[in-house]
Amino acid sequence: MTKRVLLAEDEPNIVESLTFLLERAGFVVESEMSGRAALEAAIAEPPDVMILDVMLPELDGLEILRRMRADPRSADTPVLMLTAKGQREDRETALGSGADMFITKPFSNAEVIAAVERLAGGRQR
Amino acid sequence: MSRTILGARIRERRRSIGITQAELARRIGISASYLNLIERNKRGIAGPLLRRTAEALDLRLDELDGAAERRLLQTLDEIALQPDLRALGVESAHAGELIGRFPGWARALVALARSEREATATARALADRLAHDPFLGETVHRMLTRIAAVRSAAEILVDFPDIAVERRERFHRIISEESRELSDVGEALAAFFAKVGESDRTLTPLDEVEALFEANDNHFAAIEEAAEALQPAMRDGDPTPRPERADRVAREQMASLVESIVAQSAQVETAAGEARASIALLGYAADALLAPMASFAPRARALGYDVEALAAAYSLGMSTVCERLAALPRTDRTPRFGYLCVNAAGSIVRIRSLPGLLAPRHASACPLWVLYRAQQSPEAVIRQRALFPSGARFVFLARARNTGLTGFGKPRHYLTDMLALSEDDSTLTVYAPDAGVQVEEVGPACRICPRRGCQHRVADPIAG
Repeated sequence: MTKRVLLAEDEPNIVESLTFLLERAGFVVESEMSGRAALEAAIAEPPDVMILDVMLPELDGLEILRRMRADPRSADTPVLMLTAKGQREDRETALGSGADMFITKPFSNAEVIAAVERLAGGRQR
Repeated sequence: MSRTILGARIRERRRSIGITQAELARRIGISASYLNLIERNKRGIAGPLLRRTAEALDLRLDELDGAAERRLLQTLDEIALQPDLRALGVESAHAGELIGRFPGWARALVALARSEREATATARALADRLAHDPFLGETVHRMLTRIAAVRSAAEILVDFPDIAVERRERFHRIISEESRELSDVGEALAAFFAKVGESDRTLTPLDEVEALFEANDNHFAAIEEAAEALQPAMRDGDPTPRPERADRVAREQMASLVESIVAQSAQVETAAGEARASIALLGYAADALLAPMASFAPRARALGYDVEALAAAYSLGMSTVCERLAALPRTDRTPRFGYLCVNAAGSIVRIRSLPGLLAPRHASACPLWVLYRAQQSPEAVIRQRALFPSGARFVFLARARNTGLTGFGKPRHYLTDMLALSEDDSTLTVYAPDAGVQVEEVGPACRICPRRGCQHRVADPIAG
């Protein structure tokens, strides 16, 4: 069965590139550009993998993650965090609040796809 | 200093500037025979008479009574104890001899040590600002995001040669768009660093105003002159309360002068800075109208720069008096005042800087400054004898004031004013601490403070 990726990212050009790549890798991709909408989507219909940017309007990525983990419907959803800040505190905070993996911008495409595939439990094709 | 040396010193100085015993006695208002007794160490001399004698001999009080030498000795001792100098085998036991035989060299050594400390503190403060500057954090984030978008699109073009033409063009456009954004970010960063290099600080509007005042030694002669000339307008029987009237006269008659000062200043560059600087200078103009310097400076001196006495004498608010004291024109015998005003949250509302004193502009300010405890006893002037890790000594005078009556059950708003002056300069004022006044160890902001064991520390030092 095709796996679903929820992409929470507010930079349209990054959304476009990642959507293209993930679709090429065989995933179905939905994207949300605001933190609040991303949280609602993640809880209402938990994806197979969530890519979550730390800096989002309305609700930041770390807060979204905390609320997802507090809700039984999304408590186990695999989450890959993206951030532009390579600072160690950020990484530690993200992993401490329950992110499964962590990638800093600027990332390589291969790195992101490999991480999503690992979190989705294997290659899609 | 013992009586023996003091009498001899008076005689020596009097002779070296070529005045007779009778003439000096006349100037300080005692009989020649009494002065003779003093000079021969048969009588003591202290208090106002000693102060008048120092003045007549054109010496600072501390130069006459030997306090300056004692301080010099103390500072040399401190220099000799610096860990990085210990290996040089400094002959610390001979510091007194150095001062006696080569006073100029001793003073030069102390001056060098002081400027080295100040330079180090400035460098640390700059590093602190860079590390915590919100503009930099935000800009670096924007830059990395743009690079991520460019990199991702570029990799797609290389890795997927088979994609449709429209798709390909779309990714080309993304690269072009994001590169343009990236150059804007790059330019903003370059401009930021150019500014840091030029002016030693990242500029906020408040910083620009402070820099403008600092560059003018907190004194604007053109405004003072104009205020003097406008005094008749302040006296024409208009029943409006004086402060309001001064504001109006400043606004109506001095706005163009203020604008030209702001326009010509190299320190004020941004529109927000210009607006702030104009408001600050109009405030300065109004204060100058209320207490013209020609009468304020001598009166302040006569009253020992007593803030409360001056406020009463001119029927002025304390903040106005503080501003006027900071604006005193520089002369050798005028104490130099810095002025800070903070709100209840400790944020700086107004600042007139004092050389050698780093104002707590950023987070982790030192809570030991009396500035932050004046609110516990509003309306009282509290004096603090502050010793910095660098060895610099200041006298701080703080007073919290209610900014206005608000009404029953409504919150009261307090601002705290603080005057700062070097302990040396304080000897010219009523605030000079006696030897018995406790010295309190304070610091600059935690991030640049070397007192490692301090129980009030909230942030680690960034260097050293």
